[in-house]
Amino acid sequence: MDYGIEDKEQETLVRLRGRLTFNDHAKLRALIREMLQNKAKRQVLDLSTLEFVDSAGIGMLLIAREEMANADKQLVLRSAAGQVKRVLTVAQLNKIVTIED
Amino acid sequence: MVPSPTRVAALQGLGVPTDRLDRLSAALRLPPRRPGSPAGEEFGASVLLLVGDDAAVEAPEFWRRPYGAWIEIAGLSDDQIVEAARRAAHADLFACVTTVSANRLHLAGRILNGLAALHPMPEAQRDDMELALHEAISNAVVHGNLQVEGMKGLSVEALERFSHDLAARMADPAFADRRIEVAAWLESAAAVVEVADEGTGFARPERIDYGASGRGLDLIAAIAEELQLLDGGRRIRMRFPL
Repeated sequence: MDYGIEDKEQETLVRLRGRLTFNDHAKLRALIREMLQNKAKRQVLDLSTLEFVDSAGIGMLLIAREEMANADKQLVLRSAAGQVKRVLTVAQLNKIVTIED
Repeated sequence: MVPSPTRVAALQGLGVPTDRLDRLSAALRLPPRRPGSPAGEEFGASVLLLVGDDAAVEAPEFWRRPYGAWIEIAGLSDDQIVEAARRAAHADLFACVTTVSANRLHLAGRILNGLAALHPMPEAQRDDMELALHEAISNAVVHGNLQVEGMKGLSVEALERFSHDLAARMADPAFADRRIEVAAWLESAAAVVEVADEGTGFARPERIDYGASGRGLDLIAAIAEELQLLDGGRRIRMRFPL
């Protein structure tokens, strides 16, 4: 998985690319650190170019949500498609995280 | 109607010395496949690839027909290879590789490509089956062979502990060289896929305290028609309707 960060006025937009699996633990730690450091309250993960996510990837997104909540920030998952959208639905993540189309 | 089996009818080596390949060919009673010799492929039989070069086998061409079985020979005796090939003979697709290779090859995607070639399916179904197989292989890799515990709780500390343990075990041949075996076959209106590891086994807990881990088996259960844990949890069998 790779990611790019774009600071906007109201939010920080993070675009995830490739596959998000248990192998990406180090990348996720780095990303969470960066999201905690920047000022925006809304941290948006754009998933439109993410191709594959597994249960560990879901787990790491939940860690990110928890860490943002502890820092009084909001995590938003946006534009999931294909397999990624399907997994978010099967795992019922909408009950826990804000999901936008 | 039961689809006609596509079982191994020839042998090919990738980075395997010729004398060893000849010896194994004789022991397995499988003719070596030479360039230009179809070796029964015309009636749907498949080729067993003995992998001695774990970098070269990443090329997609080795994961298309006629290849239907893959055995990574690193660390295996001839007898162990013969035993693995006998198990391969019962499946339409079979892979026996090290933990490191199973992870690096993204084995689930490759096996699903093979299944979809034998039995075309809609993309959404293929995606679901790939996820279920990926979860089963990940469990076998992380919790089975590497014996790394899942992420407990939802903190960066849990992620760091997981990160640290996983990297350490992946670098330790005593764990990383353990085998992952995937066998898949078609039955009437179903695909059956098994994943086996060499860990200490697993019993499905009655209640799971979800942290960042623990969702894999639930995802599999949501996708597969049937899910069985065999050999004390070292082997999972999944049945998917087709």
